[in-house]
Amino acid sequence: MSLIDEDEALIAAALNGSAYAWEKLVKRYESKIYNHGLRLMGNSTDAMDLMQEVFLGVYRNLHRFRGDAKFSSWIFRIAYNKAVDLSRRKRLLSSHTRVGEQEETDVLELLPGASSFEPEKMVGDQEQNQQIIAMLGKLPIEQRLIVELKLFQAKTFQEIADLQDISENTAKTRFYAALKKLKVVSEENHVLS
Amino acid sequence: MSCPKTEHLLQEYFTDDLAPLIKEEIENHLNFCDHCREELEGLILAQSSLNQWQDQRVPHWDRGRELFRREHRVPGSRISFWNKLQWVPSAVSFAMLAILLLNVNIVSSDSGVSISFGVNESDSVLLESRLFAFEQQQEIAINELVQRIEDRQDSNNIELLQAVMDQTQQTTAENLDLIYAFFEQQRLQDLEDMRVGYQELVDSDYATIRSLQQIAQFVSYQGDIR
Repeated sequence: MSLIDEDEALIAAALNGSAYAWEKLVKRYESKIYNHGLRLMGNSTDAMDLMQEVFLGVYRNLHRFRGDAKFSSWIFRIAYNKAVDLSRRKRLLSSHTRVGEQEETDVLELLPGASSFEPEKMVGDQEQNQQIIAMLGKLPIEQRLIVELKLFQAKTFQEIADLQDISENTAKTRFYAALKKLKVVSEENHVLS
Repeated sequence: MSCPKTEHLLQEYFTDDLAPLIKEEIENHLNFCDHCREELEGLILAQSSLNQWQDQRVPHWDRGRELFRREHRVPGSRISFWNKLQWVPSAVSFAMLAILLLNVNIVSSDSGVSISFGVNESDSVLLESRLFAFEQQQEIAINELVQRIEDRQDSNNIELLQAVMDQTQQTTAENLDLIYAFFEQQRLQDLEDMRVGYQELVDSDYATIRSLQQIAQFVSYQGDIR
């Protein structure tokens, strides 16, 4: 039985009330979603929040999954939407709490990757991952999402464009701009180290 | 030195399905444009540093199990039947505890079944004598066991001691051999040193004699001249 067939079998069983099938389905994707969250949100607390929201979304909408696309694509689409929502909520929260404190705040500072970015909260001592998170944290959320989709999930620019509702050219331009920014950050890190 | 083509060219380079012609065009340009080449190398390096990501383990969470079970609880007859019998184990445990605490005796005879609480005296004496016998039996068994363990421990200790002594003996012999070899080597070295010393002394004596002979010859030569 292929992975896709197995996913479908698990979904069918979960819809019939099998807690075991549901748990197996969650176990199969939780690591990918959690690591996706870590890279996007920059800390384990937000990554856990994102993961739980994603699986809650999956649970609520499981009956709507028709099997037209792969389950992995479907779940990552939910993850993408939740990540955007969570970023927006955090941005609003940050700007709300800062009203009157700093009037001329850089918009980038309000994004999760900047002010709310907390590498010290990372679980474990995976230095390499922390460096990557620090690098990604320098990117605005739109670019970070493109990098995540392109490099970590190996999506094509067309798929990214569809997912983000932008043109393929915009996706390419954003990805290139992100890489350029990462290059500068990487060079700065090398100079500092 | 900057190049006007960098932006467009490198953006194309990262396209998904790069057409062979465009790829060739880019490669040709990179062959002679240092700026674009360096820029591309930097971008690839930044990209590859992201590829070092190691998936981290997910912290413990309940995987939505509770929510799932709560919402999928089937109100069927099978589940409610078992739910109704959930009190049975507790009730049985409680009854057993009561029987033990109240010393309940159930005696079945030809005249019927009688239930009594507490222990009667003859039973108590019998129980005590049996307990005493059992205690003594256990004590003997434990003593035997302890003795066997001690014996085994002693023999183990002796074996260990023997092994340590053998090892020590062997090590000592090896050490003595080493010391003897060292002294022998030192003695030979000293002899050689002495031989060389004597040889140098003899050579020096010969040199002195030769010098004296030369002086004597010189003196006698001077005498002849006068």
